[in-house]
Amino acid sequence: MTNLFNKKMKRWPAWVVMLFCVVALMLIGTQRDSGPSTPQERIESISQRLACPTCDGESVYESRGAASQAIRKEIARQVADGQLTDSQIVKAIDDSYTADLKLVPGGTGFDALIWILPIVLLVVAIAGLVVVFKRWKTQGSLTATDADRDLVETALRQVSENRDS
Amino acid sequence: MLAVSINAAIGRGAILLGLLTCLSGIAITVAGIRKHDLRALKSAPRYAYLAFAAALLAFIMMERALITRDFSMKYVQQVGSRDTPALFNFTAVWSALEGSILLWLLALTGLIAAVARKFRARVGDELLAWAMVVMFVVGLFFFLLSFGPANPFAMGALGVNDGPGPNPLLQNHILVLFHPPILYVGYVGFTVPFAFAMAALITGRVGEGWLLETRRWTLYAWGFLTVGIILGSWWSYEVLGWSGVWAWDPVENASFLPWLTGTAYLHSVLVQERRGMLRVWNLSLVIATFSLTILGTFLTRSGVINSVHAFSAGSVGPWLLTFFAIIVVVAIFLVGRRGDQLRSPGAIDSPLSREGAFLANNVLFSIFAFVVLLGTVFPLIVEALNNRRIVVGEPFFDRMTMPLGLTLLFLMAIAPVLPWRKASQEVLRDRLFWPAWCGVGALALSVIVGADGWASLAAFALGGFAAGAALRQIALASRRQGWRGVVGRANGGMVVHIGVIIIAVAFSASSSYTRTQEFVMKVGETVTFADHTFTFEGLSLESDDVKTSVKAAIRIDGDSVYSPARSKYIKQGMDIGTPSVKTGFVNDLYITLEGNVRTTDTEARIKIFVKPLIMWLWIGGALMALGTVLAAFPGKRRQPTAPVSADSVLTQSTTDEHV
Repeated sequence: MTNLFNKKMKRWPAWVVMLFCVVALMLIGTQRDSGPSTPQERIESISQRLACPTCDGESVYESRGAASQAIRKEIARQVADGQLTDSQIVKAIDDSYTADLKLVPGGTGFDALIWILPIVLLVVAIAGLVVVFKRWKTQGSLTATDADRDLVETALRQVSENRDS
Repeated sequence: MLAVSINAAIGRGAILLGLLTCLSGIAITVAGIRKHDLRALKSAPRYAYLAFAAALLAFIMMERALITRDFSMKYVQQVGSRDTPALFNFTAVWSALEGSILLWLLALTGLIAAVARKFRARVGDELLAWAMVVMFVVGLFFFLLSFGPANPFAMGALGVNDGPGPNPLLQNHILVLFHPPILYVGYVGFTVPFAFAMAALITGRVGEGWLLETRRWTLYAWGFLTVGIILGSWWSYEVLGWSGVWAWDPVENASFLPWLTGTAYLHSVLVQERRGMLRVWNLSLVIATFSLTILGTFLTRSGVINSVHAFSAGSVGPWLLTFFAIIVVVAIFLVGRRGDQLRSPGAIDSPLSREGAFLANNVLFSIFAFVVLLGTVFPLIVEALNNRRIVVGEPFFDRMTMPLGLTLLFLMAIAPVLPWRKASQEVLRDRLFWPAWCGVGALALSVIVGADGWASLAAFALGGFAAGAALRQIALASRRQGWRGVVGRANGGMVVHIGVIIIAVAFSASSSYTRTQEFVMKVGETVTFADHTFTFEGLSLESDDVKTSVKAAIRIDGDSVYSPARSKYIKQGMDIGTPSVKTGFVNDLYITLEGNVRTTDTEARIKIFVKPLIMWLWIGGALMALGTVLAAFPGKRRQPTAPVSADSVLTQSTTDEHV
């Protein structure tokens, strides 16, 4: 009875209900995605996109150094000013330094390679898998020879003898 | 003061002894293999023990030099100090490059000695003999490093009576005692599977023998690396003051790269053991994992990449790069030479099978490793080719790895329920039903508690799905095998999965829902933030021989007092902030004292971070460690005749499952 109930429950209507629930919940969740809710959180978010100009590979967000404090102050000033978007603030601060402070490489020129290469690798890997699976499919399963069958029979006999003894 | 320190003389002698021992070990073992001389082969373990004794003696002499404040030695002048507390004076050995290599040597030779002891009864076996040779070669390289470019026993300038002590960041938390040694054991642990893989290629015994011999060694190496990484994150969280646990820093990436390929290997090795397939792939993964430990060491110890975690740079770069190149060239040559033998006659019947899922898992882990490696070295490439300096940071890694992480979570949900060979729709529907509802439940709970953002919601849903699949496997195994249901590779692996899922969910929550606010507070003032009250009760001064600290007293919710501080390390002149954390199961309240403060100030800048689910990162890490130990225990032996693959399609829907 339980098994039958279990089987009936797992039929396609239950999966459709599940899918509906997932879509509905995702819609509810993503609709209220509001990003940074306070000016302070906006400052933190922007500071995560800029490198500290004087540190060992830290972002402005991570660094406690004087240069990062100065950049954070500038971000706070821009945020309070309310004139620029986050990306414009990042660009303005990056432009004011000779070093490249952006932590995300650009999507053009040589820097674009960092974005393209992983995608190329993914495409090659998927294509490779498709080719390999096709080859495996056409190759088919190996057929057991009489010698193989003898080997298996001997092994099974030994196992049952060991168990009996 | 002696012109030549006794510590330096004995230490350097020990390094030379280790170097000559490894050299002799290689010569004797190779000669024994060539001449089939069992007596020569039987002596190999003795060389391993002697190399370990030499490394241990060198380590002890360095500790003795630091403890007795032997400032005639350059290294003690660099990292020693008369004022450093005993614990941090002990850990000062690995606080800079030369001492780190010494610790590496100690772990490596200890491991070689352990392997020699474990297999001492079978030293006549050519596979084991070649594995010993490879390990001696690796040992020789590190002894050479320690004897040449990273000599910890060099004499220093005359007349120096004190030093600055270790970097301040390396003397304000107990984890400095645990994180580096554990991480190093993880790194060097991969030498064992690498040595056996190379031995298999040299001898032509490329079957499954070497895999089985090194199964537990690999698992332990992976476990140590995992725990080392988690402890590193914890340490970073407690010390650096920016409230994060992972920043995709080059040093962090250097430890993560071998972890990724090592994890891929632990999965794909199952396909070779069960089906005799993926031989070249598994060999490549083992070689890649070991090579990446060397490449990572090069990147972080040569000074080519700056990192807040590096603490040292030296002239070892060309040596490490050359060694890395030799490993790669020799490995490719050997794999090429055994090409015919490495071909597998089998085939994976369907992508919807356990082995198909492992293959997909391996592809994803490899791409993940490639992204991390590319992001780490890309600034170097741009500088070399374009003569331009760029920084690749957290936003790049987050953007690129997030879809990979989510897909891996999805695979973690699917793979455990898939049978070997082929799965029918009925089987999938049956086995995935309740885990999928667990995912929906997790998603619903997330939405109810206010979660937003599609990536985080997807992580919670997939985490629930994967946890459901893992718990289902444990429940089924426990029903069949009792307490042994959590022991053995498959079942212990499910415990590891649960640990990974907890970490993924906690990481996603802490990254997405951290709330921050900075307050300028007057003494006695109370502020409310995130439903908590924070009262600033004043500043106090504490000083000892090493540092002067200004501490702020912050009372949370009228209860306990927490004291973030800013410390000035006297000798280094460095100003270090130390956060104070109120830890909880739901949220951590992470408080830092900002800016320059004096005890006479009547106000202070206090920054408060509310970090959700941080404690679950450490709980997840502990579960991963526990799962690794459980996986190393022998599980219930399957009857040799018991079925291990899916039944025929006709009977599949009616049979119970077998994992």
